Amino acid sequence: MVLPQILLNGVLLGGLYGLMALGMALVWGVLNIVNLSHGALIMLGGYAVYFLFTVTGLDPFAALPVAMAAMFAFGYLLQRRLLNLVVRSALLNTLLITFGLDVVLTYLAQLAFTADFRTINPTYSGANFAVAGLTVPVVRLAAFGIAIALAATLWFVLARSPLGRAIRATSQNLTAARLYGVDPGSLYAVTFGIGAALAGAAGGLYGMVSNLTPYIGAELTAKSFVIAIIGGLSNPFNVILGGVFVGVAESLAALYLGPTFTNVVGFGLLVGILVVRPSPSIRAA
Amino acid sequence: MMNKKTSIAAAIAVALLASVPLFGSDVVVQFGIDALSMATLAQAWNLMGGFTGYPSFGNSVFYGLGAYGTAIAMTKFGMPFGVGLAAGVAAATSCAALVGLPILRLRGPYFAIATLGVNGAMAEIVSNLRIAGADVGLVLPLTRNDASFYELSLALLVFCTGCVAWAATSRFGMGLVAIREDEAAASTMGVNATLYKVAAFVLAAAFTAVAGGIHAYWSTFIDPASAFDSTLNVRMVIMCVFGGPGTVFGPVVGSFILSAIYEVLAAQISTAAALLFGVVIVVAVIFMPKGLADLVQQAPGVGWRYFVRNIRENGI
Repeated sequence: MVLPQILLNGVLLGGLYGLMALGMALVWGVLNIVNLSHGALIMLGGYAVYFLFTVTGLDPFAALPVAMAAMFAFGYLLQRRLLNLVVRSALLNTLLITFGLDVVLTYLAQLAFTADFRTINPTYSGANFAVAGLTVPVVRLAAFGIAIALAATLWFVLARSPLGRAIRATSQNLTAARLYGVDPGSLYAVTFGIGAALAGAAGGLYGMVSNLTPYIGAELTAKSFVIAIIGGLSNPFNVILGGVFVGVAESLAALYLGPTFTNVVGFGLLVGILVVRPSPSIRAA
Repeated sequence: MMNKKTSIAAAIAVALLASVPLFGSDVVVQFGIDALSMATLAQAWNLMGGFTGYPSFGNSVFYGLGAYGTAIAMTKFGMPFGVGLAAGVAAATSCAALVGLPILRLRGPYFAIATLGVNGAMAEIVSNLRIAGADVGLVLPLTRNDASFYELSLALLVFCTGCVAWAATSRFGMGLVAIREDEAAASTMGVNATLYKVAAFVLAAAFTAVAGGIHAYWSTFIDPASAFDSTLNVRMVIMCVFGGPGTVFGPVVGSFILSAIYEVLAAQISTAAALLFGVVIVVAVIFMPKGLADLVQQAPGVGWRYFVRNIRENGI
């Protein structure tokens, strides 16, 4: 039963990976910013949930919406006050400024929270149940479910709500959207806020299944980037699928090649996919 | 591009830099070796990222191959340093040509992430190679002669900058700029885009590999994590873009300034140094998105309105 268990672990972890990439794909598709500080936003969300849990005693899953609201406000202000100043600049410049932000957030977190390893450890964190001979960890299953639910919510907002129409219109044609009364400055801020809120949720869940340190951002950014490209930027469910794909591939690599290879597999897949299919349909949310 | 005045100024600057080991302390010379090799890396990155418009995050592969080529030739085959460097350059340039052919078909962020992937894969391959010391690393013969490492690094930087200066005015460099501005149009006008791109990639790989080889011999120890360090590649990009991508002297001046800022910050307030470095990058991108070179050319005429104009052009 090793292989089915490994596959199950990969799928559950992959849902969380997909949630990590969701916010990055949204911001990339709409604002055309490859946000290298996305992993740092995930990290901040993780700490928000951690402190809500340890200081106020709130259940981590109940703390998730609070952390998401806080991260939305943070992302909104970041875009409104800072990134809107450079949003139409060359790609290399937005890469650089978000890298600079990543450095700033990482080291602010180090000053504020120290470099200690932390884990969000509710009483049920080790709980699991058996289905058909497979062990299903409760927290990971819940994380997977939340990832799907958030992707569905995002899909619904984008496809059905007036806000979603404005976001899609702006990503397709900025000038035309402006003519129809969309204020791109605030719309970009709202979009980035949503991206940050999704990152916050991913961070809270990540803190329950793994360790939080101020330095996890860079690796999570790279992972989100890979998944965003594999899943494309157009459909939230495809991003989750991309995450599951990477999660399963990593688990299989750990089983057959050894754990040192897990991080390379994602990149290897990516380079292969890019070279075989150089221009995936990517723009537009 | 290179008129008489700039040539003279450059010659004076090189002479001044060359005399640093005569009166500088050990600390200054060691800082100089790092700063000079960083400037070389930024300048080599400039060939691909600045002139050709392909943001490579795989230049650290060539740095690592240069370092490992040198280290393996010296420790496993007892070759002298010069032969080691040549081996490193041979490894890096053949890798650049082999890898460049498929991935130079990708553009923008796709190219960037593919090169990042190559870096990760190469680090993994090397850390599983017995001859490269696997993930333990290699120890090179010990030498303590900072002054000659300094002069060697300076010579490499001068040679690299000379090549870029030549490229900027030559048919080759014009072709690269044409590819950056509009690759399809450049091909239509008779630029062999594939050949030009691979040639620029190989040239950048050669300089990067020599810098890697020199650093390996100087620091006398390499392992996969330090040789294939993707944050090193990010530093190349920052230094080049801060100075002015696609210009001859921008990357050199930019990396000297940033290296100095970082060194001073690290000495004064060690904990907040990286934090302030991040702030410098953010502020620089907002106020001078085209780099120092553009600031120096444009700002004297228009003053502070230069910054307002940048924000108006790039903001929303």
